[in-house]
Amino acid sequence: MKLKSLSLQKKVKVLARMDAGVGKSSLLLRFADNTFTGNYITTIGVDFKIRTLEVDGERVKLQIWDTAGQERFRTITSTYYRGTHGVIVVYDVTNGESFANVKRWLHEIDQNCEVVNRILVGNKNDCPDRKVVLYEDAKRFADQMNISLFETSAKDNLNVEEMFTVMTKMVLLTKKEQKDRQGETNNPLRLHNNKTHKRKQKCC
Amino acid sequence: MELYPYVQEKLHSGHKLTDVVEAGLVQEFVKTTRVIALIEVAASEAKRGGEQALFIFQTARVPVHSAIDLSIEQILPIDTNLKCEIDTSSTDVDTDVLVNITSGKLRILFEMPFSQRTNAFVSEILRAAEVIGKRRGPPPEFSWLLPYHQSCSNGPQEKDSASTVSTLVAGDMDGLATDAPSPGDVSVDVAQTPPSPSLDPTVSNAESSSVHNDDDRSPELGVNRHNIATGLSPTPIAARESHIKHQMTLREDAYTDINDFTVFVGTWNVNGRSPVVGLAQWLSVDEEPPDVYGIGFQELDLNTEAFLFNNSPKEQEWLNAVLNGIHPKAKYKKVRLVRLVGMMLIVLVQEKHLAYVRNVAVDTVGTGIMNKMGNKGAVSVRLDLHSTSICFTNAHLAAHQEELERRNEDHDCILQRTCFQMNMNVNTPPKSIKDHDHIFFIGDMNYRINPCDLNIREVASSADFKTLLEYDQLTQQKKQNRIFHKFKEGDITFKPTFKYDVDSQEWDSSEKARQPAWCDRILWYGEGIAQHVYRSHQELQISDHKPVSALFTSGIKVIDTRRYRRIYEEVMKKLDKLENEFLPQVTIDITEVIFGAIKFLQPQTKYLTIANTGQVPVQFEFIKKLNDSNFCKPWLSVRPFMSFIMPGDKCDVSIEVLVDKQTASLLNAMTDKLYDILVLHLDGGKDLFITVTGSYERSCFGSSINALVHMSKPFKEVPVAKLIDLESSYPKELSEMPYAVPKELWYLVNHLHSHALQVKGLFVLRGVQKEIIEIRTSLDEGVPDDLLPGSVHSVAEALLLFLEALPEPVIPYTFYQAALDATPNFALCKEIVSKLPDHHRTVFTYLMAFLKELLNHLTHNELDAKSLALVFGSILLREPASQAVDRRTSTQAVDRKKQIFIHHFLMNDYDY
Repeated sequence: MKLKSLSLQKKVKVLARMDAGVGKSSLLLRFADNTFTGNYITTIGVDFKIRTLEVDGERVKLQIWDTAGQERFRTITSTYYRGTHGVIVVYDVTNGESFANVKRWLHEIDQNCEVVNRILVGNKNDCPDRKVVLYEDAKRFADQMNISLFETSAKDNLNVEEMFTVMTKMVLLTKKEQKDRQGETNNPLRLHNNKTHKRKQKCC
Repeated sequence: MELYPYVQEKLHSGHKLTDVVEAGLVQEFVKTTRVIALIEVAASEAKRGGEQALFIFQTARVPVHSAIDLSIEQILPIDTNLKCEIDTSSTDVDTDVLVNITSGKLRILFEMPFSQRTNAFVSEILRAAEVIGKRRGPPPEFSWLLPYHQSCSNGPQEKDSASTVSTLVAGDMDGLATDAPSPGDVSVDVAQTPPSPSLDPTVSNAESSSVHNDDDRSPELGVNRHNIATGLSPTPIAARESHIKHQMTLREDAYTDINDFTVFVGTWNVNGRSPVVGLAQWLSVDEEPPDVYGIGFQELDLNTEAFLFNNSPKEQEWLNAVLNGIHPKAKYKKVRLVRLVGMMLIVLVQEKHLAYVRNVAVDTVGTGIMNKMGNKGAVSVRLDLHSTSICFTNAHLAAHQEELERRNEDHDCILQRTCFQMNMNVNTPPKSIKDHDHIFFIGDMNYRINPCDLNIREVASSADFKTLLEYDQLTQQKKQNRIFHKFKEGDITFKPTFKYDVDSQEWDSSEKARQPAWCDRILWYGEGIAQHVYRSHQELQISDHKPVSALFTSGIKVIDTRRYRRIYEEVMKKLDKLENEFLPQVTIDITEVIFGAIKFLQPQTKYLTIANTGQVPVQFEFIKKLNDSNFCKPWLSVRPFMSFIMPGDKCDVSIEVLVDKQTASLLNAMTDKLYDILVLHLDGGKDLFITVTGSYERSCFGSSINALVHMSKPFKEVPVAKLIDLESSYPKELSEMPYAVPKELWYLVNHLHSHALQVKGLFVLRGVQKEIIEIRTSLDEGVPDDLLPGSVHSVAEALLLFLEALPEPVIPYTFYQAALDATPNFALCKEIVSKLPDHHRTVFTYLMAFLKELLNHLTHNELDAKSLALVFGSILLREPASQAVDRRTSTQAVDRKKQIFIHHFLMNDYDY
């Protein structure tokens, strides 16, 4: 899932990446509309929803992009990384194969994004009997890849809000750091031109 | 503006259109289009000119094309009740702004673009309101609006003679959102009538029903398809920031608690004296310390210096005295002190409340000499305490028994002219006294007791104030609604506070022997205020007035942060939900378009239906992906590739696959396959992917000369792997004995040589498509009895097609430019041909021989060398794709060169 943020407000674009059928769309709907339906039509394409969050006193408009998980669309969907601030890689905790594919998704992210915040999400964490990807294993992998891990359930509305909030915080922090760095290098030039500078920041 | 003539047409003569704009009427979370016009009546048409009104028109379609499209929905006379302000709380400069128009209890919200034009329009309204506000005398009647009002309301009209036009209009305001009463409004007596049917007979049922839907507070609006088609449908508001604020205001009750604050209000005319006594007897007589103090003085300093230079040592003296005299049980902080000559007002709050005091502002109004000087008038302080706005006004009105009317005018003047400039935002409109939730109006009002049969001094000294109060000018004037409209005053149970001999409790013993009067008064306005005490303080004797004080409990709106956050999030979620709902939505019936076997030059078409299942019109377009130059492969065509679909409507898109001479070779060589993903992009919304697949049946058409000469078996029988190998740059499996020319070419030429040497119109008359396909099948599958099907014209066309489909033309691309350059000289042309790759050279020579043979029969077939040279020149000599673009300017010259090149070989003998 891609996280794109919109700002007046800050705007953050988030992209969701994952195999088909791990519940990406459900996750998105849970977050954006607070609804859940078990039978979604597979995403054939790229859809997005918006949700406004207030994080640390800042209003952030998230644009969350839901991309088709099918292999054949991979080259096309990878183009949607442009302008993305965060990527959520989702696997299905009841499906070992989806977890095995995570590495490939992470690789794709590396290839397409220079600076991006990543979160690993194990969805469908609502049926202990069917869970095959254990938290410990996922956590070990996540630590190794230096990525945060969340186990969520779109169905039971578990951890969804928290996960997106953390993602937003990460993005805001990165943005701030970038801005600070930019400020350091550009300060002498920008002094008299504060307004345009500000604007530029806005429309990212 | 094109709206001008249409609106003007709606008006009666003598009524002039000042300005008109289009705006979005905001209801709950959506907006619908309205036209707002500012209309002025000519001086000759009304009893008094200068009256203006706002007309709000519904529009039957957008954009408006004629006056018929407009119907008056509402008329708002511009009077002192009308307020108009731009909400600029949105920090984003580019978005729209909300324009808030209130008239009495009615509150209408419009969304307009953030522009000069909007600003100008609002300024016009404000100017009109100012003109009316400054006008003296009886209130405007707006009788000129009556005819319009009758035309815009078809319900039974209230013929209540007492109600003005303005109340009638406001009461009928069913179509427009009548939101919760705005707390700042003073005039709250406008009756809300239940919704009445359609406002205008010209409005169709469908539209009027949508108007009434707007009354529904739920954001789940029934979206009327017809309205959407005409652009009248609600669309999400754009001024999101302002709207969140507006929505939060509407929900204020849900997240605010009313907390009781005690407010001590005091007034004293100190007659120019210094505070030689302690003020505790006045300011600190109650058991518990008040939360807020509002303390007013008059005649603080009677020196001319104070009058002229507005600078008085008394200010500090009295402030100190106040600070020393206030309640000792609590710590107080000064909110603001304001003084104009002798009038001074001090507002204090307990220290613990200071953090919740915001937007403090002051203003002073002089109504003294020349109606300007500060010897009379008022000083005011306004503040927001938590979420309640409070105004303290300390007035000193005209003196003397007989100056009753002057006092009334001073009162009017103060209410009208007091104007707090709010600093928080340049665009925030200034506030007047009446714009506050709570108002404490105190001071030396100077109203006296009218002469009567009673011995005023005697009665005043007794305890029978009721009798005497009947003659009190203030009480009388207020009863007549002349002054202090809607203000309240507690029962007076204390002796008149004026006029005493200084340092005594005795009535004025001077020559003038002024009659006692209740000059010093405390009035209040607002909901949730209770007065507990209203008293004078007789023991303070340094002035000829006694101080007066009152203690109130005021219900102050205090925000519960927890609930505020929850509701805030709810509002945001609602807006988000709406925004998501208003994103373009479509469904497509198939996402995978699967074609069966596709043959060369045989088009196949399938259809895709895009249905707009969303709430907004959709603009769709198939867009390019990655680095492609087109949105689909060259063998695919999609029609329409962009279009517009109304909600509920559908659009059929044809998807045609056609492998022709341009695309066949790529498919033959496996450089391309019949597989494509179309990206269907919705403007402002999502992208959908549509996969198109098919399997191409290879053909000798589109194969290269070099590959074909190595195939001895019919094309169809050659394994695909071998085909691919032969088409590659370095084929591995070449036959040892290749044909001199491709056998398919031989079949075609031989057929024509055998059957068509004397046929007229060869290469000019068109073949039959079906026959050409049969010829192709025959060539691909093997020619039975060496006989091709179809007419000679079909065979001729198949020959041209075969040559055109060659991936590398007979004169290969690398020789193209040299060949053109050689045209002036046959020897050079021959040299070029001699350098061609073997099979290309053979094919060229073979074709030239055939054409010359044709020309040998020109008496029968009526062919001529020039025409043949033109036809074959353009096929045998093809410009490389890279040159195709810049060549355009000299097409004719190039074609001519190609023709000449071939013509040389047709007219001359040559050996190779």
